[in-house]
Amino acid sequence: MGLLAAFCLGASLAALAPVRSHAQDTSDGYLIVKSAYAELISGVFYLNALIDLRPSDQALEALTKGVTLTLELQIEIERRRRFWFDKVDASLEQKYELTYHALSQRYILRNLNSGEQENFSTLNSMLGQLANVVSLPLLDESLLEPDVQYQIRLRVVLDNKSVPGPLRLFFNWFSNWPMTSEWFEWQLSP
Amino acid sequence: MAIVSVRRIALMVLALLGAVLWVSALLMLAKTAQNSEEFGRLYNWILFINIAGVVVLLALIGVNLVRLVRDYRRHVPGARLNARMVAIFGVLVVAPILLVYYFSVQFLNTGIDAWFHADVDRGLENALELSRATLEIQRRDYLNRTQTMAETITSWTDAEIISGIGRLQRENGALEVVVFGQNNRVVAYSSGRPSAEFPTGLAAEVELQIHQGRPYVSLIPVGTDSYHILTAVAAPGMAYVDEGRVVEALFPVAARISLLANTVQKARTRYAELEILKAPLQTNFTLTLSLILLFAVLTAVWGAFFAARRLVAPIQDLVAGTRAVAKGDFDTRLPMPSRDEIGFLVNSFNDMTMRLAKTREIARQSEQQVESERASLEAILARLSTGVIALEPDLKVRTANEAASTILGVDLEAGKGEFLPKLAAPHPMMAQFVDVCRNHIEAGETEWREQLVLRAGGSRRVLMCACTALPGEGETVGGHVVVFDDITELLQTQKEAAWGEVARRLAHEIKNPLTPIQLSAERMRRRYLGEMSDTEAQVLDRATHTIVQQVEAMKDMVNAFSEYARAPELEFSYVDVNRLVSEVSDLYRSQELGTKLGLVLDPDIHDLEADPGRLRQMLHNLLRNAVEALEGRENPRIEVTTRLIKENEISLVRIIVADNGPGFPADAVDQVFDPYVTSKPKGTGLGLAIVKKLVEEHGGRIEARNQKQGGAEVHMDFPLDETARAAMLAGAARRESRRERA
Repeated sequence: MGLLAAFCLGASLAALAPVRSHAQDTSDGYLIVKSAYAELISGVFYLNALIDLRPSDQALEALTKGVTLTLELQIEIERRRRFWFDKVDASLEQKYELTYHALSQRYILRNLNSGEQENFSTLNSMLGQLANVVSLPLLDESLLEPDVQYQIRLRVVLDNKSVPGPLRLFFNWFSNWPMTSEWFEWQLSP
Repeated sequence: MAIVSVRRIALMVLALLGAVLWVSALLMLAKTAQNSEEFGRLYNWILFINIAGVVVLLALIGVNLVRLVRDYRRHVPGARLNARMVAIFGVLVVAPILLVYYFSVQFLNTGIDAWFHADVDRGLENALELSRATLEIQRRDYLNRTQTMAETITSWTDAEIISGIGRLQRENGALEVVVFGQNNRVVAYSSGRPSAEFPTGLAAEVELQIHQGRPYVSLIPVGTDSYHILTAVAAPGMAYVDEGRVVEALFPVAARISLLANTVQKARTRYAELEILKAPLQTNFTLTLSLILLFAVLTAVWGAFFAARRLVAPIQDLVAGTRAVAKGDFDTRLPMPSRDEIGFLVNSFNDMTMRLAKTREIARQSEQQVESERASLEAILARLSTGVIALEPDLKVRTANEAASTILGVDLEAGKGEFLPKLAAPHPMMAQFVDVCRNHIEAGETEWREQLVLRAGGSRRVLMCACTALPGEGETVGGHVVVFDDITELLQTQKEAAWGEVARRLAHEIKNPLTPIQLSAERMRRRYLGEMSDTEAQVLDRATHTIVQQVEAMKDMVNAFSEYARAPELEFSYVDVNRLVSEVSDLYRSQELGTKLGLVLDPDIHDLEADPGRLRQMLHNLLRNAVEALEGRENPRIEVTTRLIKENEISLVRIIVADNGPGFPADAVDQVFDPYVTSKPKGTGLGLAIVKKLVEEHGGRIEARNQKQGGAEVHMDFPLDETARAAMLAGAARRESRRERA
């Protein structure tokens, strides 16, 4: 009885543990923000970024079988403070949905923010589309205070929203899909 | 008590809430597999509650287990039974739960595996292929139509195309038709959709395929539940790279086909999603089952502890109560646990202890009563002048009073439990007494009475003895009670009284005729002596002389008797004893008797309250007796001693007259004070009797004994004053009273 209790307790605690670290071989995929910058055009800051995305084989297999992946660009604009933690002044999330349509044998990329949908005959063409973020509007220049240093940081999260919340814990334990890139930070300058 | 109850209720409520919370958490955990977002948000909390519940139960069980082990090692009553019941309950409950758990997990895993059977997968793929085949027919049809449109516009000019494209679109049933020219230039465009956007150019993949000389046809998902078919064909006869034209058309897919195809697509997607959730689902279900198992097992084990404790508690109370009763605590009352059989047992125990307590109280009261009566009896026996000895059937001393020890001269109190003949062996007088008793008892006499005369060492003692057998069990004798009284003094007193009466009568009857006899004899002598011849005169003279002489002697004797019988009127005054003793002693020195007379006088003695005349008479009698006893002895010597002594806080003056004569007859020392007991040829036998009487009338006492070195010795003890005399007389009265009671 004690052994069983210990086993169950151990299993439960292990389930609560953080998502296991990803292996570093290519079959595990990778997600990196290679470069990013914001340019000011007509009083509006636009984001341009280059993302290197390679889902894991497991994720690609699931995608091929019809499971929907999500890709989320998380952008935060922070105010730098000298004697205290930086303050997040604004944050933006750009979400995409990646689907393989088996009947038409096409890859569908849906922008969840705008509702736009694009079809691609190959995975690479869809990933290529995602890799180049071009002129994504961030914020109005007028919202920024003068004489204050702002920091922008960007990261990308690849996830699977179709997994129910309760099972996500165990899903994360058993799979290596969910990936989160490191924050890519740079100073916002007009 | 109230605080304990409130605490217990609070704990019960807390435990109930905890149990409800945990069960709810378990139910919610089971529901999580149903993809509920609400539960999904609470999932971590639910898991935490479950684990917390397990930890709490484990802690409870641990505490109970530690307590049980501790009690078991300390041999606490009921601990073994408790352990056995916990083990039995635990096995009985846990074993089926484990079986159910094992089979549940097996069924669960098998069931989930069955969802993803290869046939299902293949069926879905086949359905997909079927859908594709169905759509392929439409695709070919639409491609043919597009090729026809391309062939039609081959010979048209741009203006003809612009004017004719609308007709082509409608005739071929297309939603949109676009004719692209060189450099992706839109030559003409026709759309049946009002919200359509103007085309910007061929898509890269379309352009690539056309450039490769192949027509393009593709199924395009639109929204979430409809499809279009996009076709593109280069106009024949002209190279696309030069001035060729490309016709791109968009056709609708029939709604019914779209619906069916969409269903297949969604089923496949759902199946794929489920497939990737297989492992998490199995894990989730297994964890849920495991937690439920843990909940059930731990609750069962804790319940086993709880139930065993509840069941054993009254038994432990009973054991503790029994031990208390064994130690004599009959006031133990056990709490009533319930109205079942255990409750009946506890009730019976309480009833038993109550009865025992009552019985003990009654026994204690009886014992107190017996003890009180025994103490009273002992007090009575102690105050009795009569000796009482209780004997066992085997003649061992059960008990004896103080008077018995005094009379027999042996400490019988110390000899309790001893064999009476053994106690008596060193004491000749007591041995005679015991022999008589033993003879009667061994002869089987249950009741007898006898007057015993005991003699030893020149002393004599008369005992009146009576014995009664005590009842024993059945017909046996339970022992004997011997009651005896020393009646020596009583007999002496009776004898003295008798002699007094004799003396009084003698004095009265004899003295009266003596004077006429003497006068008659003297008259006869005076009248006839001169008239008779010498010879006759001599006879008469001698006869009358003898008569007168004998009458005188008889008078003396009668006077002595009278003196003995007369109740003297004592005239007390303070007498200097030493002086009086010296004066009387001097009279006997001057008689030239050849007797040495020594005085040993205590200078502390001053005045004795006594009748000086009687005191002088007593000394004369004793000294005369001594002198007479020393006649014919060599080195006769008399010694008179005075001493002031204290006896029981009573001051006494002791006068001792001792001589070195032959002493009293050894067998009659006790009788020397009796009238007419004398060893002298001339004595009346009343000297010492009168001395004794006078001493006793002074409230004193007298004792005669023979000295070890030879010779007689008489002790006279006189109370110093009125107070001492009153005390002496009171003691004597008590002795007399006892004697009379006896």
